[in-house]
Amino acid sequence: MLTFSQIFKEYQLGQQKVTALKGVDGEIAQGEMVALCGPSGSGKSTLLNVLGLLDMDYQGRVEIGGVPYPKNPRLAAQYRRSQFGFVFQRFNLIPVMTAWENVAYPLMLNGDSLAQQRAKAYEILEQVGLAEFADHRPDNLSGGQQQRVAIARALVHSPQLVIADEPTASLDSHTANVVIELMKTLGHSLGTTFIVATHDPRMSVQCDRTIELVDGQMHKGQMKWAS
Amino acid sequence: MGKLIPLSLRVAYLNLLRNRRRSLLSVFIITIAVFALTCAGGFGLYTYDSLKESTARDTGHITVSQPGFFEQDEDTPLENGLSDAQAISKLILANEEVRGVQPRIEFTGLISNGTKSTIFVGSGVNDREFDMKGPFLDVRAGKTLSSIHSSRYNPAEPEVMLGVELAKNLKVAVGDWVTLLATTSDGALNAFDFKVQGIYSTGVPELDKRQLYLHIQSAQELLVSSKVSTLSVFLFETEKTAQIQSWISHQLSNVVLEQPIELTPWQDRAFFYTKVKDLYDRIFGIMGAVMALVVFVALFNTMTMSVTERTREIGTLSALGTYPSDIVYGFVREAGLLALIGALVGGFLSAATSALLFVVDIQMPPPPGRSDGYPLNVYFSFELLAICAVGVIAICISAAWLSARKGVNKPITEALAYV
Repeated sequence: MLTFSQIFKEYQLGQQKVTALKGVDGEIAQGEMVALCGPSGSGKSTLLNVLGLLDMDYQGRVEIGGVPYPKNPRLAAQYRRSQFGFVFQRFNLIPVMTAWENVAYPLMLNGDSLAQQRAKAYEILEQVGLAEFADHRPDNLSGGQQQRVAIARALVHSPQLVIADEPTASLDSHTANVVIELMKTLGHSLGTTFIVATHDPRMSVQCDRTIELVDGQMHKGQMKWAS
Repeated sequence: MGKLIPLSLRVAYLNLLRNRRRSLLSVFIITIAVFALTCAGGFGLYTYDSLKESTARDTGHITVSQPGFFEQDEDTPLENGLSDAQAISKLILANEEVRGVQPRIEFTGLISNGTKSTIFVGSGVNDREFDMKGPFLDVRAGKTLSSIHSSRYNPAEPEVMLGVELAKNLKVAVGDWVTLLATTSDGALNAFDFKVQGIYSTGVPELDKRQLYLHIQSAQELLVSSKVSTLSVFLFETEKTAQIQSWISHQLSNVVLEQPIELTPWQDRAFFYTKVKDLYDRIFGIMGAVMALVVFVALFNTMTMSVTERTREIGTLSALGTYPSDIVYGFVREAGLLALIGALVGGFLSAATSALLFVVDIQMPPPPGRSDGYPLNVYFSFELLAICAVGVIAICISAAWLSARKGVNKPITEALAYV
């Protein structure tokens, strides 16, 4: 269970202070796939950064499995490498590594042996349908393939939480559907919580639940269950 | 093959290939720096070695004399000379590391061709001096002094070798006769006639104008003394100078001699060597500092550009949980690899240049105060290359560390949003 309460976040924009999050609260159950929606500037990326431990400069409390988020950067890095996975809008694969090396990267950070890294990376690449592209570099893969590699990288170390920031924004509709389906299937089969910031209605429809943010606050009236 | 190389090293190499031109330029700068430093240093080593050998050959590795011989002027010739020269020589020659002991008499006087006279600086030596010293004299005409034990030596025709300018000044040639006039050890005047056996050049015009060599026995007869000025001890290996000096000192302390004895190693008489070494050390020091600065600026620029271009990648690695220090090490590895490649290429070029100069004869112009040039040689030293390589690698690593540290300190969210 991921819980967050009274999350406030302020930015200094030139001479002005901008409040991006104004006391956001919420709970997300383990294995749930939640879409974070809202117009530009609503604070969804900010909340995603806070929940993904990418931004620790906030006020409020976030807990995962009853354990508060660390505030120490080194502990936060340990948390991210062991508990979290990330899927970015522009895939963000390491260009000099092959697909399987990209996927194995979190395993390497967590101290798995090379044999384990290879075995697990190939296994999950098989699941995302890219086993035959394991030795390809990202620049030899299409956008959809790259995003599937990114999903494999996010899930290979069985994290509790995957943070996905606009994962379908750079993809055509067919590929986006494939990626959405893949995230949903793998997320449910592994019991991984997904928080997906998206503008894409196809994505939010596929999620278990949608959290809508407006002006840094949760728009409770619009919260809906997908199915 | 790729699988045998650790991933971290392979990633560093592949990252360098992302901007080949920039990486090549960095390697080129490092190569030039290492090449310049190892060649300049190699030239310095060759010069030091040549001057060291030349000094040791000229003065001997160790000079045996009365205490203060080199500081005090003599009122009469051989006033500060050694009386026990033969006993001391015999004692020193017992050591197998000693190649020879040469007695010498240094004195001054007047030389005349019958119509013209001029001042000379004479050295009384025995005939083995020339074998012992090696090719330090350029004999322009005639021969070196004959052995007095040889059948060809005629005691009625005592021999002298004249410096080339002195011979020219007196208008004498090999086979001509000259008269040497000197003050004897008891203050009287004495003169002998000598036949010119050879004409030589030392390479130093000032010496060639005044210097002459004659047999030590002739000098003793001229000066009416059985003493010698000094004994020059020649060793097989210059590096053993201190060890043999200590041994001689110990041996001499066990015998009773007429006079106290002082031992002077060649370094204390190598004024030219010391000054040249001081000068070169400073020149190479400044050159090294300039090269270090150039390499630092070039690498700092390369790594800063690389860090800036890869800001989003740094953000991704940080988001995935990579520690900032590990990201910095990644850039440091890349800089280290650039430095290593540059150092290896620079070292190879330096070795090739050194080998080439041993084959191709390139003459350097005569140094100030000399009349002859010398061959340009560059010693290739692995030790020097290692020092340069370690220095360059350290500079590159520092530059990479400084630029990468700045990059990883950027907040992750900002780095991920970097375009």
